[in-house]
Amino acid sequence: MPGEPAAETLRRFVLGDETAFEQLFRQFERDVYGWILRIVRDPAAADDVLVDAFWRAYRGRAQFDPDRSFGAWVRRIATNAALDHLRTASRRREAPPADDTVPAPAGSNRDTQDAIAGAFRRLPADLQFVAALALVEEQPYADIADALGIPVGTVKSRVFRATRMLREELARLGVRPC
Amino acid sequence: MLNDQDLVRTLRSALPPVAMPEPPSRDLWPHVVERARQRPSWSAADWSAAAAVVIALLMFPKWFWFLAYHL
Repeated sequence: MPGEPAAETLRRFVLGDETAFEQLFRQFERDVYGWILRIVRDPAAADDVLVDAFWRAYRGRAQFDPDRSFGAWVRRIATNAALDHLRTASRRREAPPADDTVPAPAGSNRDTQDAIAGAFRRLPADLQFVAALALVEEQPYADIADALGIPVGTVKSRVFRATRMLREELARLGVRPC
Repeated sequence: MLNDQDLVRTLRSALPPVAMPEPPSRDLWPHVVERARQRPSWSAADWSAAAAVVIALLMFPKWFWFLAYHL
């Protein structure tokens, strides 16, 4: 995560200064975008979620405490925006699609990959979120817990539930270990 | 049934980890500004509440002061 911005920049941001807001956006967009992309796994959707996250940050600037970490605050906002995106996407999705746009390794069986991606996408949004970050991206549980504002133990239990649901679904689909 | 290691390996074969995050492919700052400058629009709940107040006043004009006090 980038270093903390100057206190004066944060103070001006809270007061609604657009120049300060742009400075913060430029400083944190890459980090926040990377975080969002790891969750939504689609660059086009990540663009929209990034805009939404910074818009939410600007709208909620009065609630930001300049003595706290801006990076952690905006990441938590981005997390909520990404979760909302996952929830909306899962509501829209009746049939299992394979809309993961991060390319799969060459030589892999496309049907199997689609089946696995479909099983992953059918997880409830909160479980899909922790599965993407903990199992696929191997992010530390503490970072995931911090971004969600929940205890590490809750993250572990969600990972456990996601793992169990995925295992059952993949067994049902007859997917064997790669 | 897959064990934990097999499951993670299988999952990562279909959903490979995102490479070192790159910045967005285009400048999104103008979109953020545009969104931040938009006037907040009324939601369906806002319109419903407003309609309920208007209907209540048409049906029960004496409620005006009661509503004026509470709104």
